[in-house]
Amino acid sequence: MTDELNVLAGAYALDALDDAERAIFEEHLQTCDECAEEVRGMQLTAAELSHTTEVAPPPLLRGEVLASISRVRPLPPIVDNVIALHRARASRSVWQVMAAACALIAIMVSAWGYSQHRAANRASNASSTVTTLLQAPDLRATTTALETGSGTVVYSKAEHKVVLIGRNMPSPGNGKTYQLWMLPQAGSAAISAGVFRPNSAGNIELPVTGDLTDIGKMAISVEPSGGSSQPTPGTVQQLNL
Amino acid sequence: MTSMRFERNSQVSPALQTDDSAEPNLQELLAASARGNEQAFAKLYDLTSARVYGMVLRVVRDAAQASEVTQDIYLEIWRQSARFDSSKGAVLPWLLMIAHRRAVDRVRASQSTIVRDDKYALLNTERPFDSVSEQVQTSLEAQRVRKVLNDLTPAQREAVSLAYFGGYTHSEVSELLKIPLGTVKTRIRDGLIRMRDALGVAT
Repeated sequence: MTDELNVLAGAYALDALDDAERAIFEEHLQTCDECAEEVRGMQLTAAELSHTTEVAPPPLLRGEVLASISRVRPLPPIVDNVIALHRARASRSVWQVMAAACALIAIMVSAWGYSQHRAANRASNASSTVTTLLQAPDLRATTTALETGSGTVVYSKAEHKVVLIGRNMPSPGNGKTYQLWMLPQAGSAAISAGVFRPNSAGNIELPVTGDLTDIGKMAISVEPSGGSSQPTPGTVQQLNL
Repeated sequence: MTSMRFERNSQVSPALQTDDSAEPNLQELLAASARGNEQAFAKLYDLTSARVYGMVLRVVRDAAQASEVTQDIYLEIWRQSARFDSSKGAVLPWLLMIAHRRAVDRVRASQSTIVRDDKYALLNTERPFDSVSEQVQTSLEAQRVRKVLNDLTPAQREAVSLAYFGGYTHSEVSELLKIPLGTVKTRIRDGLIRMRDALGVAT
């Protein structure tokens, strides 16, 4: 059990993690039986809390609920011919694991597109950034509200790995690109960590390898296609670490 | 309904209260629901909806939104009914877990447009479990849980309540209470462990 992650069990059981932290913790739960057991007890405890807020719903709601279910067929059970990975995950908890799997798969798929390496290497490179991060003893995740949307930086200084998770980010515009920067604490010149465009839904998962030892913040700027050697003033939004 | 506040609401009907002895019944009802039995689902709703709706109302704070979210939750339970696995736990906690996640998602999605008065929330709705107790008609189970909550340290109770009933992330709790995130994580975890042991929750 990783102490750094284990301490998140309580916050996880109360749904008090943000999406990125939740995805990371759920991945950890797959491999840490002790944590999974603790989480289970805490989820049962959390459920008990709802005794204190019990209130009869408005009578009309019953009819609305029953009308809405009558229009939908329940999903079929999960049967044995589903692929092994899916079953292994589903058996622990369909709910949490689906969310975690989606987040991680999104990161991996995005990493494939980002990777400049040969196709044969792409899968292993992408999963290795995520896997390395998930196992890092000094894993951190911070979320910063941007002018539009939000940016979450999941990183490990020890492992030199960062994943930027952007949500609801607008398109940078035609002929333009976003560029991710590392800002040294000493105030010296920004170091480029790559260019990216969010997908049409405004989402981006960008894995980066880089030395964060003396880095105080990250930043996102809007640059001409291909990127710039230094961020264009006036377009810079900082991300806390 | 819009003026309804949690503290004032005392419409808990004993017939709608849910206790754990209903669990074997809930499993049968859920299994029947998975086969398309709407009457079984209606019974499941009757046995669980006060727990679900009350919790959702507490988190989202608005009766109209609470109804909407509760309807979404039950539609999801109906859809997923065949995928519930009783070897992994009981029906009611599973249902409440889904419900809480949905309620929290709703309150977080709407926080960008509606500014929640955090200080007001903190001072006026999250703390007083003791003062709430005589205003809300409560079951024995509720009294038991409330007592266990009150036996936490005030710091633990505050952190657990802001997260569970307030729907705040632990980072937001840290900001609201002006304490380091690491302290929040520890308080929440220690508080839950203490509650778990006091309630004798068996996993």
